[in-house]
Amino acid sequence: MTHTCMFSTSHGRRVALRTPVSHRVIASAAASLAAALTLSACGGSSNSEAATISLENCGRTVTMSGPAERGVTLNQGATETALSIGAQGQMAGTAYLDDTIAPQWQAAYAEVPALDEKDFPSREALLETKPDLVTASYSSAFDDKAVGSHESFDELGVATYVSPFGCKDRSKRPAVAWDSIATEITDYGIMFGRENEADAVVAQMRETLTGIEAAAPAKGKSIFWYDSKTTTPYVGANAGGPQLIIDAVGGTNIFAGLDGSWADGSWETVLAANPDVIVLADASWDTAEEKKNYLRGDPALRDLKAVREDAFVVLPFSTTTPGPRTIEGATLVAGQLGGDGA
Amino acid sequence: MTASTRAPARAATTTGTAWSVILVALLAVSCAAGVAIGAADLSIGTVVESIAGRLGIGRGTDLLTTHIVVDLRLPRVLAAAAIGAGLALCGAVLQSLTGNQLADPYLLGMSGGASLGAVLALTTGASAVGALGFGAVSTAAFLGALGSLLLVFLIATSRSGVLLPGRLVLAGIAVGQLAAALTSALVLFGDRDAAHRVLSWTLGSVAGVRWSGLVGILVVVAVTMTIVLAYSRVLDSFAFGERAAASLGTNVERSRWVLYAVASLCTAALVAQAGIIGFVGLVVPHAARMLVGPLHARLLPVVALMGALLLVWADIAARTVMPGRELPISIVTAIVGVPAFVWLLRRQGARA
Repeated sequence: MTHTCMFSTSHGRRVALRTPVSHRVIASAAASLAAALTLSACGGSSNSEAATISLENCGRTVTMSGPAERGVTLNQGATETALSIGAQGQMAGTAYLDDTIAPQWQAAYAEVPALDEKDFPSREALLETKPDLVTASYSSAFDDKAVGSHESFDELGVATYVSPFGCKDRSKRPAVAWDSIATEITDYGIMFGRENEADAVVAQMRETLTGIEAAAPAKGKSIFWYDSKTTTPYVGANAGGPQLIIDAVGGTNIFAGLDGSWADGSWETVLAANPDVIVLADASWDTAEEKKNYLRGDPALRDLKAVREDAFVVLPFSTTTPGPRTIEGATLVAGQLGGDGA
Repeated sequence: MTASTRAPARAATTTGTAWSVILVALLAVSCAAGVAIGAADLSIGTVVESIAGRLGIGRGTDLLTTHIVVDLRLPRVLAAAAIGAGLALCGAVLQSLTGNQLADPYLLGMSGGASLGAVLALTTGASAVGALGFGAVSTAAFLGALGSLLLVFLIATSRSGVLLPGRLVLAGIAVGQLAAALTSALVLFGDRDAAHRVLSWTLGSVAGVRWSGLVGILVVVAVTMTIVLAYSRVLDSFAFGERAAASLGTNVERSRWVLYAVASLCTAALVAQAGIIGFVGLVVPHAARMLVGPLHARLLPVVALMGALLLVWADIAARTVMPGRELPISIVTAIVGVPAFVWLLRRQGARA
């Protein structure tokens, strides 16, 4: 595959090699080497093996000779991230949804063949699409029992990428923060050569966030983030999407003492805290309505202030995991709180 | 009874009674501790005041504190005691009936059947169809346990209606394996959350028990206790073996049916309320035998009390070891119970 001096994607956008976010680790040596090779490739216009795209991912370096033209996204998060930057024209397949794709991306989603909506595709089905890039939300996608290891794709010259929040090595996972969400979106921008679109998505996210933070509709309010389960409530803890959204709206999490993104909480703690607001995650496997009914029907919980006053906030589960939809979660919470407080 | 068993029996009477008295006192203290200790930091005074307030004595405490004490802690502590007693009793009865030291309440494919039922409810989201005031998952688990039980008995009964004990255990294993395979398949094909929910159900907990569920548990355990105590002589003769039981005039066939049915129905009811709680039914009977010997009239009360005591403390540990969050009770029963059992075994070995 020969490259012209000015790289261009199928959409004719310029691809540049750069460090998008200051805390991103791109070894500067590798970067300058790549730049040098790029230059030599320009000068000689030869069939160079030069790595023109190189980024750090979960302790591995993802290298590609150009923007993905046949990307395959595994897991809903990866698919939605790619669609958020309008990469559907450069995708050869998607697989494995948790529930349904967000309405704003459904039309784009329909343009790409779904290899298997309920599970990872077989390795054979995946390779049949002749992918040049395979991305996933969770490292489990690259288990031998799923589509195969990173190394097995390296051998085929297919680049692989895992969401930083799903790194197999937990020490490589970034803290869940708007910056780390931005990093992943920017990574997709680089891999698909759609950096302007990625920048626009990130800028939009930050603008929305600034607005929500300034309004702080949950200021002074304690929040119980009720994800699922009844015997022991599965709750939003202090280091994940739920806490990120709670911080954005200016509230306090009654389970801020529990580490992790989500954790098993206890009803005693909920009763003792008597939260002002209860956020309910709405998922196909555990709907917000079921949780409301449980709270209203339980002899102990129905006397909680938030239950009596109907101070519930409902948002789709997919907006509570770190990704391009998290800001939608914050917007939904802020909107419903604003209605309450007014 | 032969003369050789009477003398130790009399000696066991005194130790049996002494142990029962000690255990009752310990259980009372433990239940009080269980109500006083929890995620919310409440003083003993507040706890007493809330209970008194609910009973209409004194001023009481604010509504939510009262709920914590009276509607969350009290039912779960009493449920832990009742379930511990029930599981330990069922384990003891099944160990004597089958003559198998490794028998536990879930012997007859119960855990597999209950899990399958619960997982069906969890993965299909059939949340609407609860029955008798119990949730859908509890109801489904109960039905699953009953279904597997029925299947096991069908396999283990000869054409003439005789229950074949040897076949019973094997049928339990077979049905349990089948249910486990189906459960795994459902989890694998279920949604993202299925594995987590199923695992936490399987590991058991009394955190979800409220007064409505507790009443059922208490009735089931009380009925079971009464029936198995009435059959304690029969159980003694079973412990000597099938032939001895028959030659002593025991109506072997009928007694066996009654005891299997009672132990299994009790287990099915408990599993529906609290999930699968391992270890209690397997080990408590052995520990109790080391204390008061094998005669069931002395053994069974001690078994029930020890089971209750173990589960009350396991539940206290489950909700206090990690502040603010709950551990599955099965993990605690294993962590607390296994070393205790090893110690008892070694102590007995040293004596022998």
